[in-house]
Amino acid sequence: MTPVLRTEQIHTYYGKSHILHGVNLEVREGELVALLGRNGAGKTTTMRSIMGLTPAREGDIFLFGQKTTKWSSYKIANAGVGYVPEGRKIFGHLSVHENLLVPPVTKGRWQIPDVYTLFPRLDERRTSKAGKLSGGEQEMLAIGRALLLNPRFLILDEPSQGLAPVIVQEVMRTVGKMKHEGIAVLLVEQNAFLALQLADRAYVLSDGEVVHEGPAAALAADKERMEALAGVAHG
Amino acid sequence: MLLDIVFNAFNGLIQGSFYALMAIGLSLILGLNGVINFAHGTFMALAGYFAFTLVPYTGFWGALVLGPILAGAIGYIVEQLIIRRLYLRDPLYSLLATFGLALIMQDLLRTIWGAQGLPLAIPDFLNQPVSNTYFFVTGYRLLVVALAVISTGALFATLRFTRLGVRIRAGNADLETIAALGVNIYLLRSANFVLGIMFAGLAGILAAGQLGLTPTMGDQLIMPSFVAIVVGGVGSLFGSLVGGLIIGIASGVTTAFFPAASEVVIYLIMGLTLIIRPRGLFGQEGLFE
Repeated sequence: MTPVLRTEQIHTYYGKSHILHGVNLEVREGELVALLGRNGAGKTTTMRSIMGLTPAREGDIFLFGQKTTKWSSYKIANAGVGYVPEGRKIFGHLSVHENLLVPPVTKGRWQIPDVYTLFPRLDERRTSKAGKLSGGEQEMLAIGRALLLNPRFLILDEPSQGLAPVIVQEVMRTVGKMKHEGIAVLLVEQNAFLALQLADRAYVLSDGEVVHEGPAAALAADKERMEALAGVAHG
Repeated sequence: MLLDIVFNAFNGLIQGSFYALMAIGLSLILGLNGVINFAHGTFMALAGYFAFTLVPYTGFWGALVLGPILAGAIGYIVEQLIIRRLYLRDPLYSLLATFGLALIMQDLLRTIWGAQGLPLAIPDFLNQPVSNTYFFVTGYRLLVVALAVISTGALFATLRFTRLGVRIRAGNADLETIAALGVNIYLLRSANFVLGIMFAGLAGILAAGQLGLTPTMGDQLIMPSFVAIVVGGVGSLFGSLVGGLIIGIASGVTTAFFPAASEVVIYLIMGLTLIIRPRGLFGQEGLFE
């Protein structure tokens, strides 16, 4: 079966600085994969390369079996990739409802009323400026917005960042729900414990290279590696 | 005396309507395309000349509709060939490229239609004053104000209530994120540029009916239009509208008292705005930080 995502030896640069040094990743149909690593390890850059926002200079990226390395972001999104960026990037000066009008209309299970059903709090705040929402509500909006593309593959960059623990639990439950609906998920997290509770498999990035890959449970049991990751997550 | 002030204020309102239409187009393009379009005044003249050529075939009203559309079509070609290459570059590139484009287009206008001024024929009944006391209020001048109001109203409604408008507003703030959400930003930017040019085109035809046509007719309008943007606040289309009307009327009223200062007053208002409220009347703070 064709994997949802495969990156082959991708090298990505910001200007002259070489960030990713030959990253290989794979996400299969229906899988939830965690991408872990400390700050500056290259997690967000990997996401941006997949989305075509900072295209990889060398190597290849395949989404649903198609080579998308040099594709424009909008084309990648329309191929069925939902992207929840780091820092959420909601449109603060637009209302909640207007934020949901930005993605193109696509056929499928996720339409605007379905997002309101999933997140009743957004429904209550339809006409509020998105910038006035709490961090948790903004995260819901960012997820809802991505779901409107009816993605087969969802990429989440640090969804728990800056949120209260109760809200983090709620966001993670939602991510788990997406997996149950059959959406493949690539989840970037600083908080390794949290991510490994949900994930099937995990990759650990360090200095732009994959230094570990394997089943999530095995990684969670690897005390030494977890401490190395956690030392940063809590420090 | 009072009639004199009203007369000049009304003249200023007409002039301000041209500034506002120009400033709104410039503002649209500056926002989503991130380009300072120095060729805006030349697109304005281009639409006026298109209208001049069309009037014998389509009449004034047909030319009023088709002129901006044709100018928009040329705008689309220019966007594809030149403007597109300027995106995400330093603003200096867009200044130089569009300034050069303005010079080239002006020479083309001169070559095709000649350097001497041409009149744009308007229907006779529009030239009649609507009252004897207010002899300066002609049907044509009311048409200018009405079309300025209707076209900006239609633009604001589009931005507020349609998906296209929502995307333009979202893209002004964060183009990368709307692309990652599946919006074809290349198409969106082209459409936005064409829309901005069509506003210049409407201003051009209306101004030509009042002032006549020359290849450089836009030159006198483009600087005050930039001032209108600064006064109204960069990033706010409503600000551009209000800014255009304010400097137009202020310049008109000044003519009643001290004609020599009617142009300087525009820059005085800009100076005052920059001192008292640097972001402009409706601008966001720290937009360029």
